[in-house]
Amino acid sequence: MSHAEELRETIVSMQRELDMLRLETTHSRTLLDALDALLVVSGEDDPFASVFSVLLPIFDAALAIALACPSDHDDTMECVASNDACLVGSLWQPDAQLQKALRGRIVATLGSHDLGSCMTSGSLVPGDDQPALYLPLTQHSRRGLLLLLRECGKPGFDRSHVILARKFSLLASHALAARDAHRREIESQRLKQLTDQLTDSQHALAHRANHDQLTGLPNRAHVQELVEERLARKRPGEKLALAFIDVDDFKRVNDIYGHDVGDALLRGIADRLGKQIRANDILGRISGDEFVVILDPFRERSEIVSLVRRISELLHQPFDLDGVQVKGSGSIGVALYPVHGRSYEALRRNADTAMYRAKTSAKGSVEFFNRALSRSMSERQCHEQQLRAAFAARMFRCALQAKVDIRSGRIIGFETLLRWVDAQDVVHAPDTFLPIASELGLLDGITLMQIEELLSWLPQLDQRFGKDIVYSLNISAIQASHPGFMKTLIGRIAQSGRARNFMLELTEESLIRANTFQTDSLPLLREAGIGIAIDDFGTGYSSLAMLTELTVDEIKIDRSFIACIQDRPHQQSILRAIGSLGRALGIDLVAEGIETENELAWLLDNSGIGAGQGFLFHRPAFIPALLDADLPGNRPPLSAITQAIIDRLAKPAA
Amino acid sequence: MVSVHSISARAADTVIAVRALEQEAANLDAAPDFLCVFYDEIHDDQLIHDFLAARFPGVPVLGGTSCGGAMSEKGLGGDGSIGLLAVADPDGEYGVGTAELTGDAASAAEHALHLALERAGCPGELPELIWIYQTPGQEEQVIAGLRRVVGDRCPIIGGSAADNAVAGHWRQLGPEGPMTNGVVVGVLFSSGGISCAFQGGYAPTGTSGIVTQSSGRTILTIDGEPAAEVYNRWSGGKISHKLAGGNILTDTTMFPLGIEVGRIGDVPQYLVIHPEQILENGAMSTFANVGEGCCLFAMRGDRAHLIERARKVATAAAAALPGGPKSLAGGLVVYCAGCRLAVGEEMDQVSAAISESFGDMPFVGCFTFGEQGQVLGSNAHGNLMISAIAFGR
Repeated sequence: MSHAEELRETIVSMQRELDMLRLETTHSRTLLDALDALLVVSGEDDPFASVFSVLLPIFDAALAIALACPSDHDDTMECVASNDACLVGSLWQPDAQLQKALRGRIVATLGSHDLGSCMTSGSLVPGDDQPALYLPLTQHSRRGLLLLLRECGKPGFDRSHVILARKFSLLASHALAARDAHRREIESQRLKQLTDQLTDSQHALAHRANHDQLTGLPNRAHVQELVEERLARKRPGEKLALAFIDVDDFKRVNDIYGHDVGDALLRGIADRLGKQIRANDILGRISGDEFVVILDPFRERSEIVSLVRRISELLHQPFDLDGVQVKGSGSIGVALYPVHGRSYEALRRNADTAMYRAKTSAKGSVEFFNRALSRSMSERQCHEQQLRAAFAARMFRCALQAKVDIRSGRIIGFETLLRWVDAQDVVHAPDTFLPIASELGLLDGITLMQIEELLSWLPQLDQRFGKDIVYSLNISAIQASHPGFMKTLIGRIAQSGRARNFMLELTEESLIRANTFQTDSLPLLREAGIGIAIDDFGTGYSSLAMLTELTVDEIKIDRSFIACIQDRPHQQSILRAIGSLGRALGIDLVAEGIETENELAWLLDNSGIGAGQGFLFHRPAFIPALLDADLPGNRPPLSAITQAIIDRLAKPAA
Repeated sequence: MVSVHSISARAADTVIAVRALEQEAANLDAAPDFLCVFYDEIHDDQLIHDFLAARFPGVPVLGGTSCGGAMSEKGLGGDGSIGLLAVADPDGEYGVGTAELTGDAASAAEHALHLALERAGCPGELPELIWIYQTPGQEEQVIAGLRRVVGDRCPIIGGSAADNAVAGHWRQLGPEGPMTNGVVVGVLFSSGGISCAFQGGYAPTGTSGIVTQSSGRTILTIDGEPAAEVYNRWSGGKISHKLAGGNILTDTTMFPLGIEVGRIGDVPQYLVIHPEQILENGAMSTFANVGEGCCLFAMRGDRAHLIERARKVATAAAAALPGGPKSLAGGLVVYCAGCRLAVGEEMDQVSAAISESFGDMPFVGCFTFGEQGQVLGSNAHGNLMISAIAFGR
């Protein structure tokens, strides 16, 4: 949890900071524009006309009224400016809310305020529900107010408007004071200094808000703005390409070399890509390990192909990061304007889809978006919906494949395999739905459904095959690393009182990588008496030496070792070594995927492997069909040749 | 200029505790303009009210019972404790209104808000912040009533009054005295600026499901299966022993449910919901409304995160002050009572973490059975959340 949570925290705090900076930038820009408007108007011209033109859109207000008191002792105010010329010159007597604003408070009203009753001359017809914002404004050394009113029915001003109004009120009062005293050099200089500082600050804020701090590249929001600007200017026939680059295995780099090297890698990538793109192209970093390149313009697709290929090659070249050599790559997806999308969002999404395809087919490759990909995404979404519906309707069933004693042909166990039987009775193989079910978080539920079905059939299976049969169940690496799920599963099996008839099959990866499995689940399995098997042995990361460190009951040697074993001397040596080690450690060995008589004959003649599984013996079958099948002496029906091979060797073994 | 002071006392006898408060109050160097008081359910509310009314006449007061007492910058108050926060702000405006929640809770809350604004001398004005303390059970309606007036234009922060054993002994305290089934609404117009933060201390596990049947605060089915069974699976069998029915409050504190309320960047943000009881037919009741079609996420927490989250929330609130954390005068913290029970004997670390975040400035914290705050700009009610208010000088 901690890694993911830390990442979430970092992204959220960065985004919050970014949002705050963007708000500050917008405020600064607004204030600068308004101050400019106040200061650039010369002579006796009305400065408010320009100020109103800046403020009204920002505050989404329809009416602005500037009021001024004639003296400190007289609260009667005169309208000195308004975008409604009829109000200029009108006299006002402040009520409690306007008095508060005169005393320096910013007041946002909840709904309508009867401003008409404050007017002692002139006429104002406020609506029933006209939100208002009042801010103090000192003019010509006189106390005053600025009233901003929205149109009837619009939502009221919120706290961010109050904050902006507070800043404006302060600066505008200073600006007006300076304007009045523009001949006084010191005041002007002070104001200029203030304005310069504000300008610098605004530029700095704008840069920070729009650029990634690590690489200096435009960030996600800025890339979007830049691309949308480009797209808005595109004329018919003009093209643009968006390449979405995801750095492969970036998390591993961070894990192995640390975050400093990870950061240096990102800077290195930004540097390389920056040198590769053309002057008019845009390079941005849109999240942790994701970059985009906007290739604008292009005429022929071949230009993009060659440019993206060069980028891909650049990413494949090792990075020398402070003496550490890091080999990287990036998976790239490309979407083209206008054929693959007419908005930034559509282009980014489609390029992301293409990148995902590139990454799943071969990391470091390049894929262009196409309609087939779009279809494939839709199909995947459809598949997900069907899978969710199947989950809700519990449409998953157990199929059992026999595990046999290869020297006698007798069934000693079954591997429990999952099948999805849809509403049309189409049977789906596990590899078509288990990975998605795992991504959707449904796999735990499906596995528990599977164990429930198996347990419900156990009395009939006992009657048919005896009580010594061991049933194996496949557990994914993710499930193995989830102590909560493992505890539930182990508890359910233990509750049946038949724990010793069950074995969990885990891959080498699950056993070695999932620390939580070793510490949390393994003791529970041992305590319950449930067996553990290493599945697909030989395809993972472990070495033979590691077998000595693992406390497992059974090793299932992967089918890739067994296929045509009689013709592969190298594999034969490995198999003999595994066999010797297994026997020495007292671990049962099972050969998976035995499909031919030749394979069986070699195993019987040359290995100490005692058990096997494969189509030569038995194909997976649903439980009712299995119970109905004719299996004399608990032996699957074997061909005459297979039987002859077993019989030939039965005597020496005996 | 705003100044904040915290006063605390601890005694099983309210008279003794109030006397201790009175002695400490003598050291206040500024007359308060707003008071918040939180106390263990064992205390006599009327005595506390009488003391405050006599010692600080006319000063708006807001508070109520808090699970196992209160906390402050001096540490966890413990059983029998009372925490009093005194905010002195002669240039600010504060008001408190109350209402009984016997009928239409939304209208009652709306009425209490208008009353508070009237008493603050700010009728018709948008407050800087609304502070609420209420009886548990109708929080969504209370929020809805307040939102009728202010929408999401200002934050609504608060908590649901709590007792010590979820036995319905919670009370609220307002200017008129104690209530057993009411809402107290405070409006704050500070002269030094106010900021707030509202977060949960839990992370998603990656497992989720759709609520296929629900009624108010009761979830009947998730993905078509009885809610209790699904939840039990998600939590790794935490409620296996109670699937037939029963209170699961303490079993589920580290395994709440989450509802996605929006995203910051691409990161989903969750409102946390605390499962309360297993009912008939595998239904599960919670401390917040859950609608049909809503996607529920399994969440996971641990002690360390709940301690750390308190620090982060306090830091975030202080950092958001207009003048930055250096302008902090003091704060107010709402910490879920469920989280408090889960953190257990390490609760001192929570008060220490908040104190550190607040730079040892005064604060008072209460422990509640529901928390209200602003998530992604929307005012909402959640469970197992932590909120903090920071007062600027």
